[in-house]
Amino acid sequence: MALLPPEEGWYFKRVAKDEKMWITLALVVCLILFFWMIVWHIYGKQNPSFTTYRTTPEEFNALTMAFIEKYKVGEMNGIPVVEPPPNSDVFLVGKMWRWEPVLVLRKGQEYRFHISSLDLLHGFSLQPVNMNFMVYPGYDYVLTFKPTSTGEFAIVCNEFCGIGHHMMIGKIIVKE
Amino acid sequence: MEERKTEERKTPFLQLVLDDFMLLLFLGVTIYAVSYLIWGLIELAWLSPIPAEIKQELLGGR
Amino acid sequence: MFRTCDITGLKVDLRAERLIQLNAVMAVVSLLIGVIAALLLVLTRWQVVHLLPVDWYYRVLTLHGLNALIFWIVFFEIAGLYFGSTVVLNSRMSSPKFGWLAFILMVLGFLLVNFTILSGNADVLMTSYAPLQAHPIYYLGIILFAVGALIGVFLFFANLLIARKERTYGDSLPLFTFGLVAAAIIAIITLASGAIIYIPTLLWSLGIIKSMDAGVYKLVWWGLGHPSQQINVTAMIAVWYLGAFLTVGGTSINEKVSRIAFVLYIIGINVAAAHHLLVDPGPSPAWKVFNTSYIMYIAVLASMIHAFAVPSAIESAQRRRGFTKGLFDWLKNAPWGNPAFSAVFLSIIIFGFIGGITGVVNGMEQTNIIVHNTLSIPGHFKGTVVGGTTLAFMGATYYLIPLIFRKKIAFFGLAKIQPWVFGLGIAVLAVSMYILGAFGVPRRHYDITFSGGPFTYTFNPATDFFWVLFAVGGIAAVVGALMWILIVVFSVFFGEPVRGPQDMQLQVASPPPPAKEHGGFEAPGTLTLTLLFMGVFLIFLLLNWGWLAAMWEVR
Repeated sequence: MALLPPEEGWYFKRVAKDEKMWITLALVVCLILFFWMIVWHIYGKQNPSFTTYRTTPEEFNALTMAFIEKYKVGEMNGIPVVEPPPNSDVFLVGKMWRWEPVLVLRKGQEYRFHISSLDLLHGFSLQPVNMNFMVYPGYDYVLTFKPTSTGEFAIVCNEFCGIGHHMMIGKIIVKE
Repeated sequence: MEERKTEERKTPFLQLVLDDFMLLLFLGVTIYAVSYLIWGLIELAWLSPIPAEIKQELLGGR
Repeated sequence: MFRTCDITGLKVDLRAERLIQLNAVMAVVSLLIGVIAALLLVLTRWQVVHLLPVDWYYRVLTLHGLNALIFWIVFFEIAGLYFGSTVVLNSRMSSPKFGWLAFILMVLGFLLVNFTILSGNADVLMTSYAPLQAHPIYYLGIILFAVGALIGVFLFFANLLIARKERTYGDSLPLFTFGLVAAAIIAIITLASGAIIYIPTLLWSLGIIKSMDAGVYKLVWWGLGHPSQQINVTAMIAVWYLGAFLTVGGTSINEKVSRIAFVLYIIGINVAAAHHLLVDPGPSPAWKVFNTSYIMYIAVLASMIHAFAVPSAIESAQRRRGFTKGLFDWLKNAPWGNPAFSAVFLSIIIFGFIGGITGVVNGMEQTNIIVHNTLSIPGHFKGTVVGGTTLAFMGATYYLIPLIFRKKIAFFGLAKIQPWVFGLGIAVLAVSMYILGAFGVPRRHYDITFSGGPFTYTFNPATDFFWVLFAVGGIAAVVGALMWILIVVFSVFFGEPVRGPQDMQLQVASPPPPAKEHGGFEAPGTLTLTLLFMGVFLIFLLLNWGWLAAMWEVR
């Protein structure tokens, strides 16, 4: 009984047939779930990355500024617009309260994003695709993206970063 | 109901484990500490800085 | 020092009883704050109203998190731990003095935290992710609360050691107390992790430590944050078994199975704190996959075991009373007029179908990409800790009032519908939040029109409908919670006394007749429900993985 000590010999009581069936089914599903994650790392195309580097806000900011200078093609509402070549290192910085730069990418091409923050935690939320990653100061998160759709995409910040959090929105443009 | 044996039945090991709440406490704390905390902290400590080639590419002569 | 309960026959240590009552009262005070905050938040996120200004939104969000998720639940659980280690075991409280110390520390912590939040000195949200920094008194308050709670947990184990030594319960603990043992072990992990993270953070906020690494902070913090929720899951399940016992006289159809499931929790549930870091830089995929899987899903297996064991406890008892027709006669004839029963059963359904299903998918390393930091996340945990744990605790309180406070339940007619108002409200709220998150709506966000930003983005117009559902569900849940608080406060302070078993409005069920040996299924109705659950779960799983596969490639 839940409030009383269990009956004598409780350890040896046979497990009921239906309970046994259910536990077996649940166990099989659980093991499949575990191995599924591993298998997806081998065959799946969407996986959080294996690569993180240590950095500092100063270092990362310098690298991002250099990146912007190298590939800048314009400006939008005061934010530099950058068109990096495919298969290159793309630097995206989050800081209170904006994302820099605006990126112009090509569909079907790979880009090695380096994402970091200059101050607090931020959230990289790509809309409307709805892919979400975290952005840390002191850590360079290397995510290799391959856009599979064209158009204009927003980078919504979805990690609380102070009073201007809701103003933090960036942009990615993907061309054919 | 089945007949009860008259000799003492030795309590099975698993039942002893289930009844020993201090042992369960030890297992719970240790497994968590090693697998989540210590392993995780080690991984964070072992991160390397941004490779020189990437920095070279962008910053030139630094 | 003791009284013998004239309703249950249990020996009650009066000193423990007083501490149980005090902690329960603080729990309700905390819930009231949490619920008022919830109403303000619902009316702000629903931007048709957008009630609070921006700074107060984050402030009230912090207040809501601390009071609803930490204070309400931990005060209640400490009361439960004292109950399970003394009253249930016919044993005594090891040290009432330390019980009072624990209580005073917890109340002091509660006051300091709430004061610093309301005075604008802790606009950091419950997670307080460094480098965000609050006033040192905020961290001090949390440490005091945690130390108090830790003392309470140690008292629980001390009580058990005394009961074991004085042989008040035989060899094996009752199942309810055993479940609390699992919860208490997880609580020690929680509070120890809390000490490891909050003490350095306090020193950092005082300027003694120069900097706080963001990655280390979040990793260690979730060692506190996630297990704290797993205490709630484990305590909830213990309450489910208690509820089944009190309402229909049911208990686990196999004690070994239920106990092993609790042990699987102890071993595997805490490491899944990793699911808060799945899309974070830092730890490797190996660490992420191994830990988020609760070590190959043994803790999810444990939940699924309880998912069968608890309803089958009810079904088995009911079948033995003669409700054997068809698959669900036992359920149709269950005591639905008993608000403890309806609360517990709703808690099982909401926790399983809404909280559990979304939880496993959210927690798989790759599908986490879809949900992290979207409104789906709070949608998920409304299903688990609000529709699950809180609702179960509300149900248990309907027995606590007559048995420990010795008062009759006031507004009993209202009490009968209260679990439905709250449960259905939370269910609607949770599902609409989850769907809004699927459309990309962020959590912890003041304005999804991004006014003041350099660009803008418009979410899918379908979200307008779900925002209305969000508001409806949220307001209904607030009403349901306020109903419960009203009933509890009125009963405890102004209610008629319970003079004996004749004054009990809820039956304490007598044990049903013993089971007849038979070769068939013990609980075919429960098996049907669990298979239905598995079907829904697998469909939801496939939909999410299919959606993930259609997204941009990333590695």
